[in-house]
Amino acid sequence: MAAVDVVEIEGHIIDSLTLAKVMDVILAAGADYRVVDVAIGRTNADVSRARIEITAADEDTLDALLAELKVHGANRTDSGDAQLADVERDGVLPPGFYSTTNLPTSVRIEGRWVDVENPEMDCAVVLRADGRARTYPMHRVRIGDRVVVGQDGVRVAPFERPRGASPFEFMTSEVSSEKPKALLVQDVAARITRAKAEGGKVLAVCGPAVIHTGAGPAVARLVGGGWVDVLFAGNGFAAHDIESNVMGTSLGVSLQGGLAADGGHANHLRVINEVRRYGSIEAAVDAGYVDGGVMFECVKRGVPFVLGGSVRDDGPLPDVYTNVVEAADAMRYLVTGVTVAIMLASTLHAIASGNLLPAGVETYCVDINPAVVTKLADRGSHQALGIVTDVGLFIAELADVLC
Amino acid sequence: MCPPEHFGVLYEINPWMHTEVTVDLDKARAQWDGLVRVLRDAGATVDVMDPHPDLPDLVFTANAGIVNGAQFVPARFRHPQRQGETAYDVEWFSARGYQVDELPVDVRHEGAGDALPFGAGLISGYRFRSDAAAHAHVSRLTGAAVRSIELADERLYHLDLTLCPLDERRAIVAPLGWDRYGRRVMEAVVAEPLVLEDDEALAFVANSVVVGSRVVMPSCPPRVGRQLEAWGFEVAVVPVDEFLKAGGGCRCLTLALDVTL
Repeated sequence: MAAVDVVEIEGHIIDSLTLAKVMDVILAAGADYRVVDVAIGRTNADVSRARIEITAADEDTLDALLAELKVHGANRTDSGDAQLADVERDGVLPPGFYSTTNLPTSVRIEGRWVDVENPEMDCAVVLRADGRARTYPMHRVRIGDRVVVGQDGVRVAPFERPRGASPFEFMTSEVSSEKPKALLVQDVAARITRAKAEGGKVLAVCGPAVIHTGAGPAVARLVGGGWVDVLFAGNGFAAHDIESNVMGTSLGVSLQGGLAADGGHANHLRVINEVRRYGSIEAAVDAGYVDGGVMFECVKRGVPFVLGGSVRDDGPLPDVYTNVVEAADAMRYLVTGVTVAIMLASTLHAIASGNLLPAGVETYCVDINPAVVTKLADRGSHQALGIVTDVGLFIAELADVLC
Repeated sequence: MCPPEHFGVLYEINPWMHTEVTVDLDKARAQWDGLVRVLRDAGATVDVMDPHPDLPDLVFTANAGIVNGAQFVPARFRHPQRQGETAYDVEWFSARGYQVDELPVDVRHEGAGDALPFGAGLISGYRFRSDAAAHAHVSRLTGAAVRSIELADERLYHLDLTLCPLDERRAIVAPLGWDRYGRRVMEAVVAEPLVLEDDEALAFVANSVVVGSRVVMPSCPPRVGRQLEAWGFEVAVVPVDEFLKAGGGCRCLTLALDVTL
């Protein structure tokens, strides 16, 4: 993880070229800097002062660089230890709690920097009895938990786009419909292949449009081929996936003929009703009621999934979490180890998943509507790369490349 | 100045010092007396402080501190071997009515040895003996602008081995002793430099004392002498080789009191 610190230097640092030298030294060490502020002395006798934030590849590089800069009078500004306060009521954080970003974060405890586990935005940092620090959503804190308050002793590594040949490289804008899709498919496939080879997990987040556009079989191939390790979706996606396999329609529309089936508007209700009769999707698969599709492949391959509910759900399917806090916790549990996330034609679930993912997770958001990626970025998931295209065509191509 | 009653190379804190080298105390005393005589001949008044048996380097008064009119900023020595000098220096200046203003305890600065007035302020060296972080404090205490120069050659461990201001425009300079940023700063500050060759710098040519138009030098190559004379200076060479054994020349043996920044 990148290491960051702020140094302060004062004196006649402009006339002495000390500031220029310090910047050169930082760059020569392969690190980067950002001038936080500079106060130039007004008169000849006034000293000038500058604060410089340094980002190095790792702690060792940073420490060596800090030692070198000390010679030139640039000293680390001491932010002190992180302040801690006790939780006094279950599910309620102390006032002034430090609110996290999804970036790699560390907190200083008794002079030592401790990495915060499971970076997740909009959480608190709890220092556990064993000395480890980790993010906790508000509702999970309990009386007596020690929570970081204020900004002192907290340091956050800046967001870095992955380097090297990648879609990130030729995507100068975060969202664009004017990019060569075939090239993007190749690159996303390469990223997934590499993530899998490195032992990372791939998360797929699916909206019902995946089924409506006929991309269900392609996603099922990806799951069946072992390319998806975790699946997040809602009641609609699972219901229409099962409907399309049992009845051949999605929301009553024939996926073969493209015409509304007679009485088809009730097809998904009948399917949900039958799965409820079996008790779970897994039971419906085991009984042979469901014999294909994304959910079928998930059950067959043991791919964990979370179906998060919403107020407009029909049924819902018995596997759906109707308590959203429990749904988010279930998702939170499964994102550990995910290194690539693909958001497919989903707004609510994509944003919910984006909220849970550390900034280091490569996130591809495939949607015909660029607004979804914009929403994701606006909510802090700056790592999301938008691919504005028809999800059906994109996924079919991706499955062809990978499977 | 401080007579070399108890001078000797009793420890090694710079590349010139070797404890196996013996100092001829009689010769040292004769050389020191010679330096005092030449300085007085040039028109200087020399005040003398008492030597101390435990402080052999007390002879190098240049490092006692920074003098600014009636203000004295005592040094904070890098090496424990010399830290004992400060109490005596402070006592000497206090007894003479100087206001003593101290640097913070966590920075090192070795006085006039690393801080020479030039170009409407001080030029101050750092790395081997003084800390760059001390310069802002020196500036605050004295009210003078302090330009920092990084020293790059350990043999020239103090600034006064690399720079000898002659007048407002001219100085003897030894770029060998500075890093590339320091060289650029000095190029901008010294209008007419007399640039020493590396071997001249290592013969302590820059460690000279200027009294009016007389330049009192531990040694002077003919080339340097000719240039100084062409500029209207007189050269007086005073051998101080017993002191070179400890890494100090003429300048190191003196501390100018007529300095107002």
